Amino acid sequence: MKNPYLPELATIQRVKPETYDTTTFTLRLDDPQARAAFHHRPGQFIELSVFGIGEAPFCIASSAHGRDTFDISVRKVGRVTAALHDMREGGQVGIRGPLGNWFPFEEVEGKHILFVGGGIGLFPLRPQIQEVCRARDRFASITVLYGARTPRDLVYRDELEQWRHQEGMVCLLTVDVGEDGWTGRVGVVGSLLPEVRFDVSRGVAFVCGPPIMIRFVTQDLLNMGFAEDAIITTLERHMRCGIGKCNHCMIGDKWVCKDGPVFTYRQMKAMMEFEE
Amino acid sequence: MTARMVPHSRVDEFVARLMEAAEVIAPRRVEGGDVFYGPISSPAEVAWDYGTAVEPLKRLLVPQRETVLRFSVNEGIHVAAEMDERERVFLGVRCCDVTGVTVFDALYGGDIPDPYYMSRRQRSILIALTCQQPPNDTCFCVCCEAGPFLTKGYDQQWTSLPDGMLVEIGSDRGLTLARAHDDLLLPAEPDHLAARYRLAREAETKFSDFRSYIAAAMRKLTMNEVLPEVWEQAADRCLECGGCTFLCPTCSCFTVTDRWEGPQGLRERHWDACLFRCYAREASGHNPRAELGDRMHARFFHKISHQWAQRNGRQACVGCGRCVMTCLGWAHTPAVTEGIRRGVIP
Repeated sequence: MKNPYLPELATIQRVKPETYDTTTFTLRLDDPQARAAFHHRPGQFIELSVFGIGEAPFCIASSAHGRDTFDISVRKVGRVTAALHDMREGGQVGIRGPLGNWFPFEEVEGKHILFVGGGIGLFPLRPQIQEVCRARDRFASITVLYGARTPRDLVYRDELEQWRHQEGMVCLLTVDVGEDGWTGRVGVVGSLLPEVRFDVSRGVAFVCGPPIMIRFVTQDLLNMGFAEDAIITTLERHMRCGIGKCNHCMIGDKWVCKDGPVFTYRQMKAMMEFEE
Repeated sequence: MTARMVPHSRVDEFVARLMEAAEVIAPRRVEGGDVFYGPISSPAEVAWDYGTAVEPLKRLLVPQRETVLRFSVNEGIHVAAEMDERERVFLGVRCCDVTGVTVFDALYGGDIPDPYYMSRRQRSILIALTCQQPPNDTCFCVCCEAGPFLTKGYDQQWTSLPDGMLVEIGSDRGLTLARAHDDLLLPAEPDHLAARYRLAREAETKFSDFRSYIAAAMRKLTMNEVLPEVWEQAADRCLECGGCTFLCPTCSCFTVTDRWEGPQGLRERHWDACLFRCYAREASGHNPRAELGDRMHARFFHKISHQWAQRNGRQACVGCGRCVMTCLGWAHTPAVTEGIRRGVIP
């Protein structure tokens, strides 16, 4: 029997600061066989061990296409993330996964694709944005709306710049609070939604951000006419095992780790009855 | 599968044979008179007349603290895991506790089996002991399809009859064990089985008025028709001690920690409880279930909603009554299910 709690060792290849408190780590599994067997899809996550400190879940923040490494982007917020931020290239961590389900891709071909990200909610959306962009012809349109608290909180700046100027794609940014030098929009990310011009009956929205942002953006999308099944989000929860045993991430009749983390609004609606 | 009979005079001999092949876990009286399931060193230790063991079998299949991984740093990190591979026979186990193990089988088995649990479980033989009298007035297995006699879930089920111990066979493992000792386990007569069914019917009538209307609670939980006041009342009474969850045969929440023991790193898992305030708190400090009432709702939904019954093969209360015995605030399963049914906790 394969032991799902046994991590594979991986080495940090690259450490790239995103903001004052977030960093992207590029990881590569040490064992060639494990590397060859590591097939992940946008939306999936891993459990990462900093040995002796603990284990925590992180979404895989990069498309699998054409590379034998993967990225995770991490905000320094707790014990494991703090210890990870102290690590450098060459440091060894443990990886279990890929875990969980993934964003629909083939299922949404031909549709207008809308991404709405708030803050570090852009992390899990990034691999899907990369994959959709790579197969641009298979989608009616691509729109990325991204908001952060302040300009200093914007992540993936290089890529945002690239998306903003990419042909056949709309990418709009906003910040809640402008600072000196910011000439862009100011307002919550939902304030960008009126810019959506496509036929929403053929639209699919991928949403991720803080709980309050998900709540308001989802409501806006429903009001715009998006179907409940066409609003797709990825949830984060306190998780220990990642395989539906420890129960920490349970909401209602779902384990976020195993039944999710990707859910449609229709599924989320039933789950929301269990929490404030 | 045909049932067998062991004369009372030879039951100890059979137990002694079981002890030769495996570690035998049975109800034992400890100092002070309480009964716990534990390894016996002689057949005479088995407390055949016991009521309810203080704890279910949980601790023996999922220890309260268990090492999941060992790791060390020596020119890179080395990680290893060990499994408990002891052969064990669980003897004289109450029907509720046997049923609790079947719930664990669904939780820890499934499409991603938990190797630590499965290693112990696959090396365990479960021998149930039927209850001809409800052992306590807090027992309500009769409301939960978990006793006083079972029709499934066991490898063998023993019932004490005047002529001897009736041994019903419930699995291939139970049958193999019976066949290996067929000089002791003689075929049962139809009269013996008739007596067993008569005793089961009689036992069902002997329960106290203490009832848990699981089916009514299940309907309301499933349809989201429980009045919010019920969760507030349950929260008012709950002291968040975790006693009900730790004694429950089907509560399985755990948490995981790392620590160092000299140069040796250990990853351990520990029992946890979904009623604890920090249970769902995230690293950011965000706590999606900061309200105790929400945690109560989540716990009982997991225990007895139809949604989870479908996933686990049955609802997860087995009516052992341990939450009733331990709860200081009257927020145990029968009280809360009655509250769900009536809209107010009695």
